[in-house]
Amino acid sequence: MAAGPNAPTEAAAGGYRISIASSQLSINAWGYWPPEVADAFTGEANAISRKLMLVSTFILDAAELKPQGAEGQQALRALFRVLAAMNLARGTFVANNMFTKMQLERLLRESGLGERVAAVD
Amino acid sequence: MTADEADATNALYGLYDALDDLLRGKGTQKMRGLWHHADYVSCSHPYGAWARGWAEVSATWEEGAAVWSVYSGHAQRADRIGGIHGLCVALLGDTAYGTSVYRSKFYMSDGELNLKANCTDVLHRIDGVWKVVHHHADQAPFAWQTRVGQMVRLGRS
Repeated sequence: MAAGPNAPTEAAAGGYRISIASSQLSINAWGYWPPEVADAFTGEANAISRKLMLVSTFILDAAELKPQGAEGQQALRALFRVLAAMNLARGTFVANNMFTKMQLERLLRESGLGERVAAVD
Repeated sequence: MTADEADATNALYGLYDALDDLLRGKGTQKMRGLWHHADYVSCSHPYGAWARGWAEVSATWEEGAAVWSVYSGHAQRADRIGGIHGLCVALLGDTAYGTSVYRSKFYMSDGELNLKANCTDVLHRIDGVWKVVHHHADQAPFAWQTRVGQMVRLGRS
């Protein structure tokens, strides 16, 4: 990728934080995930079913998450597939960016969680 | 109009031709080819926040294509979904910018969904070719965004 004038250093900044307490899964995600962050998230998502027998509450704070590229979407799909397989009953997410909100709703719908995880303001 | 201005003007119309392709499920190949794939490019659409750097910009166009992949209102129609009007182009060396008004019309199951948004686009001439480095469209009214969001949730238009 070519460098340019005034290239924003925050463009590549992105990450996540996963908190597991009892049967509650909370994830805070932000920015745009480069491939290494997406890969790490996929690994942690796949490990959730080994750490928790049941996820009764799922909260995704995506307030500062940007629409993701292919790798980031794949990572989020991995999480949603795990939650669908664990028969998650209910979850919520928040996204300030309308593009991100639409992306999450699409990925949730495609993962079979569209009726179970709802956007909140 | 000089030849340079004509080339820049054609590139700007090409951006909105690529947008129409994207909205009609014809892919993002044309759109990707029009942009300069650099860290300093940026865009903002009628919904969502700023995307900065090609990775983020590309993700918004790809997601736009995904959002509208469930739209079927133009399946049997030949008219364009949208286009720009009143384009004014200014040329400053290897930089050009255009201001215009974008109008689009979607045929949703519950009626027409119309949008009018002021747009600004910036081009850089790189190796003799005008490439898009910035695109900005006004944010759409809340009601318009809500109907698009509903389409995404339902998976149908």
